Amino acid sequence: MSDAIHWSLSDFAILLPALLAGLLVTATHVPLGQRVLARGIIFLDLAIAQVAGLGIIIAHSFHWHPAGWQTQLIAVSAAIAGVLLLNYSERRWPQIQEALIGSLFVLASSVGILLLASNPHGGEQLKDLLVGQILWVSYEQLSLVALLYAMVLGVWFKFRQHQSSLPFYILFALSITASVQLVGIYLVFASLILPALAIRQLSAGALPLGYLISVLAYALGLYLAALADLPAGAVIVVCLSVLSLLAALLLPRLIPRLIPRLMPRLQK
Amino acid sequence: MQKLIRLSRLVLLLSGISITAVLNPAQADTLKVFACEPEWASLVMELGGERIDVFSATNAHQDPHHIEARPSLIARLRQADLLLCTGADLEIGWLPMLLRQAGNQKVRVDQPGYFEAAAQVERLDIPQQLDRSMGDLHADGNPHVHLDPRRLQRIAEALHTRLIEIDPAGKAIYQQGFSEFSTRWQAAIERWQQQATSLKGQRMVVLHRDWLYLFDWLGIEIAGTLEPRPGLPTTAAHLQSLKKQLQQNPARMIVHTPHQSPRAAQQFAKLSGLPVRELPYTVGGTADTQNLFALFDQIILRLTDTTDE
Repeated sequence: MSDAIHWSLSDFAILLPALLAGLLVTATHVPLGQRVLARGIIFLDLAIAQVAGLGIIIAHSFHWHPAGWQTQLIAVSAAIAGVLLLNYSERRWPQIQEALIGSLFVLASSVGILLLASNPHGGEQLKDLLVGQILWVSYEQLSLVALLYAMVLGVWFKFRQHQSSLPFYILFALSITASVQLVGIYLVFASLILPALAIRQLSAGALPLGYLISVLAYALGLYLAALADLPAGAVIVVCLSVLSLLAALLLPRLIPRLIPRLMPRLQK
Repeated sequence: MQKLIRLSRLVLLLSGISITAVLNPAQADTLKVFACEPEWASLVMELGGERIDVFSATNAHQDPHHIEARPSLIARLRQADLLLCTGADLEIGWLPMLLRQAGNQKVRVDQPGYFEAAAQVERLDIPQQLDRSMGDLHADGNPHVHLDPRRLQRIAEALHTRLIEIDPAGKAIYQQGFSEFSTRWQAAIERWQQQATSLKGQRMVVLHRDWLYLFDWLGIEIAGTLEPRPGLPTTAAHLQSLKKQLQQNPARMIVHTPHQSPRAAQQFAKLSGLPVRELPYTVGGTADTQNLFALFDQIILRLTDTTDE
């Protein structure tokens, strides 16, 4: 038996769907993450992702196909119901919003466990929801998510000056419902929060740099997972953490030096 | 920013180096086999020896019902000439996705490069009617067929025919490999059956019905399962009712496999006073189960061992 993997250049093509999934998640999650961080509701995504996941579990208990429209409808409805609830609570009890978000997270997780208690593959499903299976994404899935994300981004960049919270919550629910099924809760959280943390103190060019960090982390993570033969999702989370930490440490020192040099060229 | 560009250049450069470093042209005269479980990797090595380059997607410590997606699995399947799996829905949780991502036409479900071991033999536990409320039931019956050496012999025969079909140039090797394996295997079956005569008619408690085929061969009766339904975790109420059943009709021991958590078995051992035996489920879990012969040697040895009673 041979254990060494012989990677030829063409073999890296098998990582393409996973990389595209990473690019799609990056496109929506970096700007959404900036807003999440600014509002100080870090665990919002965990709670909403878990609520969307609960919707998927409910659909599963009706034996609906995981990719079928009924499942997606229930998942999106659950996520939107979740954000409507949180939008209401943010206005009603702003000082305990974070506590309510945390409570919604554990409640949705526990109800999911109860619903899956009589399902022989329940443990696996719960784990898939968390860790995700980014390597298994198909092009059909990707094209549907790309369509949804194009709409989300269009609305987002048109109305991002608006400070009202409801549109943000709705876009957030739509994006998270799709990304959780694509890459799992851990990667969704990491893609939202880590690049946003890295670019938190930058004023100019923050979003492009956030995108760059995230894209590099997905590419590097998939590449390292292939070479070291490790589960891809977890390696990408580690890469996102390391690159974001490096960027957070280096960028504030680099940017002030670069801007005076770039400014004259930009003004021409 | 410039540093980032330099960093990304470095990454690209490094990736170029490591790609060329591991780039290894395929050897022309070996057949690349992707085995889903180690028992099939072991079997195909018995038949093809040097001519086979085999990779096993799971090892003895993993539950073949479910595995983590790793890039190497897709890469290996992409290069494979033959896919060798249990089938009967055992790998339903991961193999269909893996096949789709690999996109290898040679090992598509309708191609000779796709071989399901369970499909070659008669299966037990085929449900009369399918109902999800029954737990993790397989429509094609119980998939754990490799634990009956008589069925394994039939699978070896079908596999050697298939190997010749997809690799005619190796015909002499596969024929010789199969004939040598058959002779040794038949002799081993007789030996095992003699060693295990005392087991006939005994009753044993199992965690999951993965021992069905072994018990079918040796005439052992399943006294009960620790799982209330296939695939579901055990519950206190279920263990209590199992204990009551066993008071009227006692069992000899509790059997579980290394890839299952021993907690349920230990808990029931305390409750019932029965001894617990961990039996190797497949090839390669321990130093003394390195091939199929050693696997059954160990299984019979541990079942007939009476030192703890």
